[in-house]
Amino acid sequence: MPFKIDVKNLSLFYGDKQALFKVSLGLPKLQTTALIGPSGCGKSSFLRCLNRMNDSVPNIHIDGKVLLDGKDIYAPSVDVVELRSHVGMIFQKPNPFPRSIYENVAYGPRIHKLFKNKSALDEIVQTSLTRAGLWEEIKDRLHQPATRLSGGQQQRLCIARAIAVSPEVILMDEPSSALDPIATAKIEELIDELREKFTIVIVTHNLQQAARVSQKTAFFHSGHIVEVGETGELFTMPKDERTQGYITGRYG
Amino acid sequence: MKKTLRKRHRREKYFKGLGFASLCLALLFLGTIFGKIIITGVPAFFKTEVLAKAVPSDFLNPHAQYAFDGEKKWVTASDEVNMYYKNDETGNLTPEQLKTIQLLEAHDQIRLAFNGAFLTHSDSREPEVAGIWGGLLGSLLTLIVTFLTAFPLGIGAAVYLEEFAPKNRLVHLIEANINNLAAVPSILFGLLGLVAFIHFMGFPRPSALVGGLTLGLMSLPVIVVTTRASLAAVPYALKEAAMGLGAMPLQVLFHHVIPAALPGIVTGIILSLARALGETAPLLMIGMVAFIATPPSSFLDPTTVLPVQIFNWSRSPEMGFVENTSGAILVLLFVLVLLNSIAITIRKKFESQYAL
Repeated sequence: MPFKIDVKNLSLFYGDKQALFKVSLGLPKLQTTALIGPSGCGKSSFLRCLNRMNDSVPNIHIDGKVLLDGKDIYAPSVDVVELRSHVGMIFQKPNPFPRSIYENVAYGPRIHKLFKNKSALDEIVQTSLTRAGLWEEIKDRLHQPATRLSGGQQQRLCIARAIAVSPEVILMDEPSSALDPIATAKIEELIDELREKFTIVIVTHNLQQAARVSQKTAFFHSGHIVEVGETGELFTMPKDERTQGYITGRYG
Repeated sequence: MKKTLRKRHRREKYFKGLGFASLCLALLFLGTIFGKIIITGVPAFFKTEVLAKAVPSDFLNPHAQYAFDGEKKWVTASDEVNMYYKNDETGNLTPEQLKTIQLLEAHDQIRLAFNGAFLTHSDSREPEVAGIWGGLLGSLLTLIVTFLTAFPLGIGAAVYLEEFAPKNRLVHLIEANINNLAAVPSILFGLLGLVAFIHFMGFPRPSALVGGLTLGLMSLPVIVVTTRASLAAVPYALKEAAMGLGAMPLQVLFHHVIPAALPGIVTGIILSLARALGETAPLLMIGMVAFIATPPSSFLDPTTVLPVQIFNWSRSPEMGFVENTSGAILVLLFVLVLLNSIAITIRKKFESQYAL
């Protein structure tokens, strides 16, 4: 199985404090990889390294390699803007722009000039919203403010916005932690469908969610990857006792 | 427990009553001041006119010839006649002159009319023909210069400091000093304007250009501080969303951060312009205190502004200037209220558009 993203010996420092210690992890193409672990273990920091969202954090220092299709994204020749059009991101709290639903989805294609004319843009917007499972619900109110949608709808809108620039990888940072169970179920369903086209990395606190949506799971603990394996295997037969403790709820 | 509870409730009531009382007191003071200004100032919008035979060149001085026949015109009465007719103030009028006025009254040859000249004339030594047009126009020209200097410089500095500046010691020092500058007494900015623009650059002395530049310097720190505060209030999640889609830093700034911060920025600018409009001290420092009887026709002409004109009038001995002073204050207050309501309207409009 080829890795879409291959992380090799990644270390991350916030000033003097080291948050990741020589972490290596391969993310298989067109699969969902879940990153689990207790709070502050470095899983979100790790995720943010994959599209260089950490770049704007002051006093940050990164060592090691992150290979996207074999090319190091931290190489000097790489343009962050281009990288982020290949690696999209969904955040913990839904963060739609305070504009219309249409404008939200159209924003990415607009700044990257991904379309020739208005009807092509309309098509991108419709496909993205359809793929995010939102089209049927909002097709009559495309030009209403996105902030009027419910939390779950906003998060799916954010997913539509991310896939409108046709990325190859989607990073999700606890995408359903601010949502109710029904909205969460919809997001999970969506993740399963998106796997056909996109490589997905999801950080989650919800172990059942990790078990439901992912094929591969990595367990982080204080800046190290303790155990990584096929999701089913890791949850049923954890090899490390820290993993076992975490998934059985002895600590969290 | 019950006893202390009653005590606690009483204390709560007492505190609320105290707050209400202080509010009433403040409103009372405010009401008194406004009432006094309005009562004194409204007569400035009316003038006494006399039906008299007047030679056109001499119409400013009508009490010289109160003819009761021949070709007659309504002419503006002198300050003393005006004061006597409006307020029964005898002033320096002789008994004969008083008799003449009573005679005019008996013949219906004296009346009160709307004083349009108060708005359209410029300053004069004669209170009955003095108007605020020169000061109003001067204030407008000065404010234009103030806006053109303070707006781009203030926004630019604020955006750079908030979004792009490295966080090092020099930048912290600059930030602290800008915050301090906002609290510097305005007369010091007058001194700065005097040295920088008049002595060093040699701009013409009491001009709208120098006044506007000086007030611009004065408004700059306030604009920087309010703009930075509104930029900082934009949620980081919004920037993250745009960055995550691959927007360049400038695109993040212009597409998301500035639109979201706009209500605060605009309010800050309008409020600091309103403050500049009412400012007197720094303009006295750069020589705008001069008596100027012709309205300015360019930014380099000798100019006076409304607050300075009020200040000058308040020091004039003629009785007529008392009501003129209050009348001019009313106009100034009206312009300030207008500016503030524009600020509120803009804020409301953008807030509903960018509700987060």
